Amino acid sequence: MLNFFQLILIYAGIYALMAIGQNCITGYTGMLSLCHAGFFCIGSYATAIMCKTFGLSFWLSLPVAAIATGLVGLLIGIPTLRLKGDYLCIATLGLGEIIRNIATNVNPVGYNSIPRASLFGYQFASRNKLAFIVLIWVFVLIFYILFQQLAHSRIGRAMIAVREDEVAAQSNGINVTKYKISSFVLGAAMGGIAGCMQTAYTLTVQPGSYTFMVSVMVLCTVVLGGMGNGKAVILGAFIIQFISYLPQLTGLTNVIPAQAKQMIYGLLLVVMMLWRPQGILGRDRFRYGDPRTRREKIAAFFRREGRNAEGGAV
Amino acid sequence: MSTLTLYMQYIVNGLTLGAIYSLIALGYTMVYGILKFINFAHGDILMVGAFIGLLVYTALTGDAAPGAWTLSAFFIAMLVSMIACAILGMLIERIAYKPLRNANRLAPLLSAIGVSFILSNGAAWIFGTQSRRFPYPFENDPIHIGSITITPHQIVVIVVSVAMMLLLTFFVNRTRMGKAMRATSLDQSTSQLMGINVNRVISLTFAIGSALAAVGGILAAFDFRVYPSMGTMTGLKAFVAAVIGGIGNIQGAMIGGVLLGILEAVGAPLLHIPNGMKDTVAFAVLIIVLLVKPDGILGKNEREKV
Amino acid sequence: MRKAVAFLLIAFICIAGVAAGGSGEGGSGDTYKIGFIGPLTGDNANYGIRCSNAAKLAISEINAAGGIGGKQLELIAEDSEGTVDKALASYEKLAYMDEVCAIIGPVFTSPALAVAQRCQEDGIVMISPSATHKDVTAQPATNADGLNYVFRTVPSDALQSEVAGHYFYEVLGYRNLASLYAMNDYSQGLALGMKETFEALGGKVVAEETCMVGDKDFRTQLTQIKAANPEAIYIPNYTVEDAQILEQAAQLGVAVQFLSSDGFSDPEIYNLAPDFTDGVVYVGPAQAEASSILTDFQAAYGEAYNGDAPDSFATNSYDATYIIAGAIERAGSADTKAIRDEVAATKDFQGANGIMNFAANGDLVASQGVYEVDGITPVYVGSFQVVDGHIVQVD
Repeated sequence: MLNFFQLILIYAGIYALMAIGQNCITGYTGMLSLCHAGFFCIGSYATAIMCKTFGLSFWLSLPVAAIATGLVGLLIGIPTLRLKGDYLCIATLGLGEIIRNIATNVNPVGYNSIPRASLFGYQFASRNKLAFIVLIWVFVLIFYILFQQLAHSRIGRAMIAVREDEVAAQSNGINVTKYKISSFVLGAAMGGIAGCMQTAYTLTVQPGSYTFMVSVMVLCTVVLGGMGNGKAVILGAFIIQFISYLPQLTGLTNVIPAQAKQMIYGLLLVVMMLWRPQGILGRDRFRYGDPRTRREKIAAFFRREGRNAEGGAV
Repeated sequence: MSTLTLYMQYIVNGLTLGAIYSLIALGYTMVYGILKFINFAHGDILMVGAFIGLLVYTALTGDAAPGAWTLSAFFIAMLVSMIACAILGMLIERIAYKPLRNANRLAPLLSAIGVSFILSNGAAWIFGTQSRRFPYPFENDPIHIGSITITPHQIVVIVVSVAMMLLLTFFVNRTRMGKAMRATSLDQSTSQLMGINVNRVISLTFAIGSALAAVGGILAAFDFRVYPSMGTMTGLKAFVAAVIGGIGNIQGAMIGGVLLGILEAVGAPLLHIPNGMKDTVAFAVLIIVLLVKPDGILGKNEREKV
Repeated sequence: MRKAVAFLLIAFICIAGVAAGGSGEGGSGDTYKIGFIGPLTGDNANYGIRCSNAAKLAISEINAAGGIGGKQLELIAEDSEGTVDKALASYEKLAYMDEVCAIIGPVFTSPALAVAQRCQEDGIVMISPSATHKDVTAQPATNADGLNYVFRTVPSDALQSEVAGHYFYEVLGYRNLASLYAMNDYSQGLALGMKETFEALGGKVVAEETCMVGDKDFRTQLTQIKAANPEAIYIPNYTVEDAQILEQAAQLGVAVQFLSSDGFSDPEIYNLAPDFTDGVVYVGPAQAEASSILTDFQAAYGEAYNGDAPDSFATNSYDATYIIAGAIERAGSADTKAIRDEVAATKDFQGANGIMNFAANGDLVASQGVYEVDGITPVYVGSFQVVDGHIVQVD
């Protein structure tokens, strides 16, 4: 029970990393991309190849995976980001399928027996999930903070300006192409990092795992949580993974057929969307030009948290 | 066999596949034209259509040998399946999409994914996961024209698809309801002000799109077999076809479908790469088409108003 | 807003709590739990469902005969959706929540590779009925005792393709073959293995065409193969692809001999392409002479599952269940190490697929059967082994 819950936390963390990337692309800059399965795939493969073929350590593979994925993102971003809306969506979907198709044709079995990650002599064995949870969620936290900072920086505001009105942004001196591409590359690199984590946990890479359903689920994670809202997409990742494994977690799969399990999942998706179409937490509303100093904000934050905690106790 | 006839053969094969893609792409394109949203459950409606068609057909004919009766039974089955799918499409729209009409553009997408899960797994639960063969309702001996081979079922697929497309074009361009549909796709709120019942139009769009998917499903069943996940990849490809043609454009969907079908058949041998990579070729061409014509082949190049 | 989140979290915790109560008796003492991992939903669900059905059937037979040492067996089937991450989640549930004493599956190679690593590490017996890739049994034994916990009741693709290559060259006398295979571990492994053997003997594979699993249109590939003019075409694919290949080949007038693999032993092929199977030769599992186990199993399976017929993978799964049950009986406990020792010690097991033994690495040691299809009935030609570089008929 606890063990399985830990597994969900690991998978949720991996999805959260991807969702942070997707959020950067779709939530902040407003580009509808369906390519995260492809980035996930490249990250996984890069890690597998680096660790297995070149004998690199996991910690060196991680930046390699991120950079490789970012580069692929750059390569496919430069031509395709001229496209708008659903055309961009379908072009990126096509790229995701191309990546999977090539991976399958190169080697349908993928890689297995990939060496484990280790840190200061400690080996991350798949059976010790707690270590993985710490590893993955530390990364989630780091990237959450980084992207949150990004969103509130000049760059982030420029991205949001591009999302809200491209023409207006351009006429205000924002280099639309530059921000679109950098946002796409950053998002792609997050997919690569997620892929790297996935490989570290499963130690097996298989092209069949990176179908376009993964891209769709990542997009759904962002929509479900609340677009452009850093906290929300992480919550979304947790909820998506949780409801997808809920029947197994509760032992319900011993009783009901597997198809029913999937139907429950589908039903929950529909119901959740009907219940909160704007996402569970909704869009993050930035309060630009908040006159309070940082210290005041922090104090206000803790006051609020304190109130909530009291409320929760009652 | 000379290279020319070889390629003629590929194109004939591609046309059959393309006709099916076109039919399914029409459903995507119509829904998109009006609601601006991708109905991910469309592929599963196709599957339901194929199953209903198969069930009705086998119930009607049993083990009868191909003849006039089986052929008419085939069209009866197609009609029943079209009606059933039209109702299913409207129901799905009413339950899962209508409440989200004014929400964020991506919300119905998630809802559609949920519906798709329910439909495909529901079918797997009810019908089992094994593939079923759709018996040919006519003698299917190949016809040889020179050294090119074509089978009657390929001809039926092409003819029925073309007939459906002509019917749809007539409906959209020549009838009152078709006009209302076009008006709604141009501007929903204005059409409402002009006295068009937008809800009715949207329901009808889903009904027609789903009915066409049912036809597509039954025609695809000859080559594809009938099984619960048959719609997933086919639906995706058809959607791609709709986009190549210029999404929201009915003629575009037809052209896109045929183009994609032919590309799949011809692409890999033309470039001398393994046939397993044909999807790569098809998708790469899709992206190139979009880069050259960012709104698809027949898409309207909408200039952004400032 | 916060209310909504709080509500959600509370709802989740409640459900989780109820569930914890419900599944708390994981290690109860009156049943032996056996796990199954395979694709029960998604594109390849058919194979997973057949295998799990066969295992279920075996277990209900054993239970009907009084169980093992007075205890009943219980099969817990979990869905892998054919992917690594879902298979690992299923493994996690089976190994830690249900505390099963052995696992049947996973059905496909990649999930099997991932789960095999975990089984080796955690010391839980895994018997795959259908993962044919050579690496499945090559996972290092990382458990404390250094013992092998991974077995399979399906021949590795190396074994099957070697027999196939020799049979096509030596017995059937072909020199020019074409192959048309799907890009998955199973079909590619067989096609490449057969090619290696066949070309080492002096034959030539004149056309090698590929497709993807789930493809529907093979006319392009067949047209290309037709142009290369081979004597026969090797199609080591799953049923659905093979059915379409046969039918479309007939439509295109490709009138050569078709050769296939144990994927063809699935009787579904005779529903999907009944008019085109005549004359196909395929290599599949051997049959034990004068044993009614296979026919009894097929009859019982058909009765239990609405007339559905088992394929060779389902038969392997049935055998795997009996091997595990036998091991539990001899071990006399649910101790995974004792069960492993007994599985490894299995000697001349009389299964539905003939006499089975395990090599030290857990691979199946068996001869291969050859079948020729007459109309829609496969006719058993005999079982073969490759001895000193030549094919020998065993019986």
